[in-house]
Amino acid sequence: MATSVYLSNPNVTINSVALQDQCTSATVNYVYEQLETTAFGDTARKFGGSSVVSLQNNTIEVELYQSYAASETEATIFGLVGIQTTIVVAPASGSVSATNPFYTLVGAYLESHTPISASLGELSTVTLTFAGGVLTKTTT
Amino acid sequence: MATYIVTSDRLAGFNRGDVFESTDLDADIQRLVEAGHISPQGSKKSAKTKDTDTDKE
Repeated sequence: MATSVYLSNPNVTINSVALQDQCTSATVNYVYEQLETTAFGDTARKFGGSSVVSLQNNTIEVELYQSYAASETEATIFGLVGIQTTIVVAPASGSVSATNPFYTLVGAYLESHTPISASLGELSTVTLTFAGGVLTKTTT
Repeated sequence: MATYIVTSDRLAGFNRGDVFESTDLDADIQRLVEAGHISPQGSKKSAKTKDTDTDKE
């Protein structure tokens, strides 16, 4: 039977701060840049190869409810703009396992943050994109 | 090596009140201090000892 996954209780930590209870969305993009290796004699385009290793170009995007209370979203995120940090996202809140892999992005750069983004009658949220860094998947 | 006390309920792997050394955490310590998640612990001088038999310090 086909199964589907939705994140109802994931693990989201930013700079070792657990923020999953403020988080409504998380997207981990694991990317190796596409390098063309097509040569004369080929009949189709080729990319990469066993001896061609390109650069990772990873991103993690999260959406958080904004909160200006002590130790909450704003206090945690504001100081991270313009520096590198570590983000960990896992599908569930339990410990790491083969069925609950931890995706860790080390050296991710937060370029921007919108401290105030609010509309009348709506909860304020912030969308953060952490770019760059090395992504690893841990299952043990 | 600096020692810190956890001052929020959000530090992953720690509870409020836990004390740890900077090498125990792979994170930006300065930003965690600024955000109120941890606070540096003052270093304590070791107590002087005194030989009670000879009264020499």
